[in-house]
Amino acid sequence: MATATATPKPAVTTRRAALQKGSSLGGIALRMPFWVLSGAIAVVFLYPLIWTTVASVSPRAGTNQVDGWGFGNFVTLGHYQAGIWQYLLNSTLVCVMSVGMTLAVSVLGGYAFGRFSFPGKNLLFLVTLGILMVPYATLLIPLYVLLSKVGLQNSLFGVALVLTMFQLPFSTFMMRISFESVPRELDEAAMVDGCTSFGALRRVLLPAVRPGLITVGLFAFLAAWNDFMAPLILINDSNRMTLPLAIANLRVQVQGVVDYGATEAGVVVLALPCVVLFLILQRHYVRGFMSGAFKG
Amino acid sequence: MTMTVGRPRRLSRTRRMSRTQTHAVLGWAYAAPTALFVLILFVLPLLLVTRMSASDWPLLSGDHGINLPKNFTNAVGDRFFGPAVAFTLKYTVLATVLLIVLGLGLALLVQESTRWKGALRVAFLLPSALGLASASLLFYVIYSPIAGPFASVAQRWGFSFLGSPNAALWSTLFLIVWRFAGFYMLLMLVGLQAIPDEVYEAARIDGASRLQTFRDITLPLLRPTLALSTVLCVTGSLLAFEQFYILTKGGPDNSTITVVQLIYSFAFQGRNDLGLAGALSVIVLVALVVINVFQMRALRTGGDS
Amino acid sequence: MAITIRRHGPMRVVAGILTTGVLMTGLAACGGSTTPESSGVASAGTEGVDDGSALTLWTRAPLEKQAKLLVAAYNSSHKNQVELTVVPNDDYVAKVGAAAGSGSLPDLFAADIVYVPNWVKQGLFQDLTAQIDGLPYKDTINKGHLSAGTVDGKEHVLPFVLDLSMLFWNKDLFTKAGLDPEKAPATLDEFAKDAKAIQALNLPGTYGTATGLNCGGCLVFTWFPSLYADGEQPMNADGTVAQLDSATAQGIYKVWRDLWSSGAVLPSSKDEAGPTWTAGFTEGKVGLMFYPATLLSSTPFDAGVAGIPGIKGGASTFVGGDGLGISKDSKKAAQAWNFLQWMMSEDAQVGVLAKDSDVVSRSDLADNQYSTKDPRLVTINKVAGNGGTPVALNFQQAYNATGSPWLTLVRNAVLGDGSSIKQDNAEITKVLGQ
Repeated sequence: MATATATPKPAVTTRRAALQKGSSLGGIALRMPFWVLSGAIAVVFLYPLIWTTVASVSPRAGTNQVDGWGFGNFVTLGHYQAGIWQYLLNSTLVCVMSVGMTLAVSVLGGYAFGRFSFPGKNLLFLVTLGILMVPYATLLIPLYVLLSKVGLQNSLFGVALVLTMFQLPFSTFMMRISFESVPRELDEAAMVDGCTSFGALRRVLLPAVRPGLITVGLFAFLAAWNDFMAPLILINDSNRMTLPLAIANLRVQVQGVVDYGATEAGVVVLALPCVVLFLILQRHYVRGFMSGAFKG
Repeated sequence: MTMTVGRPRRLSRTRRMSRTQTHAVLGWAYAAPTALFVLILFVLPLLLVTRMSASDWPLLSGDHGINLPKNFTNAVGDRFFGPAVAFTLKYTVLATVLLIVLGLGLALLVQESTRWKGALRVAFLLPSALGLASASLLFYVIYSPIAGPFASVAQRWGFSFLGSPNAALWSTLFLIVWRFAGFYMLLMLVGLQAIPDEVYEAARIDGASRLQTFRDITLPLLRPTLALSTVLCVTGSLLAFEQFYILTKGGPDNSTITVVQLIYSFAFQGRNDLGLAGALSVIVLVALVVINVFQMRALRTGGDS
Repeated sequence: MAITIRRHGPMRVVAGILTTGVLMTGLAACGGSTTPESSGVASAGTEGVDDGSALTLWTRAPLEKQAKLLVAAYNSSHKNQVELTVVPNDDYVAKVGAAAGSGSLPDLFAADIVYVPNWVKQGLFQDLTAQIDGLPYKDTINKGHLSAGTVDGKEHVLPFVLDLSMLFWNKDLFTKAGLDPEKAPATLDEFAKDAKAIQALNLPGTYGTATGLNCGGCLVFTWFPSLYADGEQPMNADGTVAQLDSATAQGIYKVWRDLWSSGAVLPSSKDEAGPTWTAGFTEGKVGLMFYPATLLSSTPFDAGVAGIPGIKGGASTFVGGDGLGISKDSKKAAQAWNFLQWMMSEDAQVGVLAKDSDVVSRSDLADNQYSTKDPRLVTINKVAGNGGTPVALNFQQAYNATGSPWLTLVRNAVLGDGSSIKQDNAEITKVLGQ
């Protein structure tokens, strides 16, 4: 059972060194098929995103962009009901609350699972993972009933609570292995220096699990930003709806007819912040997985 | 997913008792927010679902009292139950095999860190930044015989992406691979990284071929990662909903109805019966727990040997 | 951020635990009660109350345009203010169900007219019999909608938006095919003949007709009228026995099977589950089809409009759309009635709906200042009077749901060999009787 401390990969460096030996002209020729093949695969992965972006500004009958290129579909989106800014604001609020709560709960929980032994620990951990095993749609009706009993129906905070709960299996698991991969000597030394366990968490461990935090935060953001079902069931007011819900409303017109242009624009608006954030954070994100030593 | 729980303790026996107790209290204190969330927002609703499953509970008029075991017999007896279970299993097997194999393949492709391979990694991972619903919407347009980029080609060659049961299944699988392959690649990369370089070195000295090295060294040592990925993938695929809900709506000719879609349609489309939907949810939950316990047992004993 | 949440989160959660006991006992009751405690409709009188109350109204996304116009006009002329919530079409039932279960339905909510009988029976709407009977123009209100909301002789629902299926044809394509662009096909056979004539033009990507062969709702909407036109009904009066294996019905399937095998139907119609079933016509690539009248104002070219013919001729339509009623949970029923009665007034019907080229739901207002400008509107309004609205408790499951037995019947009868119509019809009856 390797609770490895994520030492940087020696294998990578040696193999890379071996590779660079072959960077003569013949080596390059030999690598051509590889570049072509891997490049082709990358194109397959990127094509749908690029196509949608282009299609959202190109002309199509039955949309708001009939002649020539332009942002007509985005205008449709912008003026829809309460207006796109309201929806963006709502989505942002839900995301901030959900990411905040996910991080807070999973850091404390991960610390408990990774560093302490207490009765019921394994049971609690397993039940938390069990959230993954229940169909999402089934839980929403009971959750709706429950939240309306405590006055949190039709509130973005209620939506954020639910989203945080659904995020717990991944984030707790991730934070647990992140804490476990930090050498124990680190916090023990801090405790010897007079830190309380919370002090050790705050001063020593949190910086050490930063990649894990970023990964958990990014996942929570992506889930909260894109979620459709929870706000659908839990929110009643048009001006408290989130972006995915507004886009779903917009997509289907009279008699189930789809406005493809608005759909494409909606996908672009939904995807853009995710893609940008992902590109900014991707290095840390990958490191979060690596340092977590997901090896079991 | 096996985790070490205990830790070697260097403290003396007398101090250890009290230390263990404060340890436990502190542990609970830190775990309390998690416990509260899980208890109130998960266990409690789950109990309510269980109660629905045992009651006559129409969506629009609420609880009309216990009717055990009618919901369960009706759910199992539904004309779509058998086909839905069969289709879900078929989809799960295909999706799991595809994602694990492609995830591993992509990981091997981009394993070394060169600039080109770094770019490839980002390209493969980018789709996982989209929500499954957005991704499904995106492919909904791409597969469309009206607005899709392949519409005219499809028309000329007389095929459609979602027209026949097989086409619909494979089109959906393509979407899933597109959206998730990068994520599984990442898991595999982490697993590959954990294999010590010396082992490869030794194999090379022994004159093993690339294929032999992969078969005899990489695969066995990657086992824990493969196990985790399989458990994640199987659980996720058995609960597949959004992709089919948006892309195929269960069609054509009811060939792509998954179990969770059936739950959804019991609850909200037609029958409007929460009791029936609850019963099927309970069945799914029990099945998933059994499958996962079984999987982990099998994979763990294999891993320890 | 994290700190404030850590402080407040658990507090709310503790409050949650305290109410949990209440919750588990309260759940049993939350579905049952249907009697509102408050200012009942009975006290409303014919006018209702306009005292500056805030009302809530839910509708599905497809009717958003009409709903918005009505609400805006009402809000600007009344003290009461209506707040509109639009819900995605496919998820409307889930949303209403969740709210009904916990007693939090809005004051007013719309329902697809084919679901209205069921929802009324489940007690989601308040009884409006006295008020509706008090309307002087009651006899002119669309019969189909009114009877869908009538259970045990009690009326619950008024027509909110009418959505009619009509025969639309592309005049340009008709001219190209040598057909008279001003003359609608008089029978279903003529309809098929015209479709084949347009197909014979062999224009690239252009087809004779289109439909949604994987969309139960579209098929109900566009094929039932052919039955009505020949004086037949798809079901018995209670909506418990399907009559979709009659000679007339079989004749209709035969026309469509012949059309399909001749290649005059848009190929994607075979798998069309609804979202794009009208797109081909809107883009000018389909000669003629049965099409929703609500799309008249957004059809970008010159199109002819007529009622849907049957085998023997005639003209009819499916009177779809949504009914609007006061919910069981509304505590402002008298104020909500004020909106409803205004909605039926000439101000709303002509001044808002007809002005927007929508169909009016009172036959005495069919000829109005707006419809005279576009004779097609007169046609639509006239046909609306003799259209049909099927009434059945299990309508959704038998017809509209994905995988409904009605879809199985149509697909077997049109795409298959048509030998299982009797059995398939029996299966519909079985679901209707559940």
